[in-house]
Amino acid sequence: MLNFNIDFTGEFVAFFLLSVCAIVGAVLAINFTKVVHTALSIALTFVALAGLYIVLEAEFIAFVQVLLYVGAITILMIFGIMMTKHDGEGTEPARPLLETLAAIGCLCLFGILFYAIRNANFPAQHAPFTDDNTREIGKLLFTQYAIPFELVSVLLTVAFIGSIALAKREVNTP
Amino acid sequence: MQHFWDKSLSWGTAGIFVAAAIGVLAVVIFFVTYAIYFERKFIGWMQYRKGPNRTGPLGLLQTVADVSKLLLKEDTIPKKADRGLFILAPALAFIPSFAVLAFIPYTLNLQFADLNVGFLYYIALSGITTIAIVVAGWASNNKYSLLGGMRSAAQMISYEVPLVMSVVGVVMMSGSLNLRDIVISQEGYFWHWNFLPQILGFGIFLIAAVSELNRTPFDLPEAESELVAGYHVEYSGFRFAFFMLTEYIYVYAIASLTTILFLGGWNSPIPALDFVPGLIWFFLKFAVIVFCLFWIRATFPRLRVDQLMGLAWKALLPLAILNIFLTAIGIEWIG
Repeated sequence: MLNFNIDFTGEFVAFFLLSVCAIVGAVLAINFTKVVHTALSIALTFVALAGLYIVLEAEFIAFVQVLLYVGAITILMIFGIMMTKHDGEGTEPARPLLETLAAIGCLCLFGILFYAIRNANFPAQHAPFTDDNTREIGKLLFTQYAIPFELVSVLLTVAFIGSIALAKREVNTP
Repeated sequence: MQHFWDKSLSWGTAGIFVAAAIGVLAVVIFFVTYAIYFERKFIGWMQYRKGPNRTGPLGLLQTVADVSKLLLKEDTIPKKADRGLFILAPALAFIPSFAVLAFIPYTLNLQFADLNVGFLYYIALSGITTIAIVVAGWASNNKYSLLGGMRSAAQMISYEVPLVMSVVGVVMMSGSLNLRDIVISQEGYFWHWNFLPQILGFGIFLIAAVSELNRTPFDLPEAESELVAGYHVEYSGFRFAFFMLTEYIYVYAIASLTTILFLGGWNSPIPALDFVPGLIWFFLKFAVIVFCLFWIRATFPRLRVDQLMGLAWKALLPLAILNIFLTAIGIEWIG
């Protein structure tokens, strides 16, 4: 279970650096006390994930990831944070018992995940690889997955209209 | 450049990549220097002034002098600013703007990275610059810069949507997102270029692009009369220079993109003129677009802030969607 046969190709180096960036971003997001710093470190994680998609040769998903998560969601978060006041930020009192229990739980989770991943059997067969994967995604979306795709867009429209309705009602009440 | 990607990475090819990157940086800095000079000259002429004419012959060294002044200036960081983010923001703004230049095909063979996603690459990276602008506004700990940063983010997010939607028509006509294929599909006479069949998309693209660049009818983020200077109020010296450089690099990128998507890239207007190299045609179209940007800046008044969002969401976006439908009908009927 514990044999790591890794050859140091460019792909491995890129994967290693990007995953370190993703993990560092996630850890910093938990540790920073200022909320804007947290939002920025989450953005770092998102960018690193986009890099991982590029390593997997899924450019379209990578750039959509940057476009939506970094370009839209992070900015929305920063916006929300800036619009609200954060005077009460500070360090919380330490709770040693709770922290020890949380650490044990995390270690157990890591052990289970590690065991499961090392034991998993990945089928060696690959999907036929095409150069133009954007075109393939489009074809699949409009043939095989047309109905789920339409359903998701209906769901998004409903959410959109719902949020507008909620925001409007707030204005009307005195 | 493309064939270097397929070779394995050795010191030689790495050296070529580094040299090419430095070359692009040099070209861009030269462009920015003289874009600023000609911007001031053109606006001067349009307003019946002379523009810069003292430093060097015809004032040609004016921008060089300005930049060296910026580099020699004292670098100030406000006491109450968020120091880390204040320092990070200019770099975070500049890096994506420079990375954007990698995918522009100048001629059939002169291109750094042939990406299948093409235009999305520009939009994705320019989003990172928006974060940097908001962060710069927030980290300065100044009312004006915070307001400028907020306005800038709201504006850039809103206008990104019609910008992307207006290009969908072009992508449908050429059947590819790849910028090189888009240019190749526009070969022939100048009425084969996308700006005529896609006239609606072209107009939407230009308006949204000017807004993305935060330039004059849409320069609310840095409206001097209301906000002093916008998100970079507290910046001075070379950090300020980085923000200016970023803005002008995006001018370069948008002008190149307009040339590629709507004006036929390196294609000549009529096939009889094919003996002129493609790079020269590209440069001529590019220069016309840059000139139009200056012209718009010199002649239009600024939009009011309450009209800004309405224009993007209520006028440009429905028109862009209409353009997609019209393009689909056109492809279906005419072919």
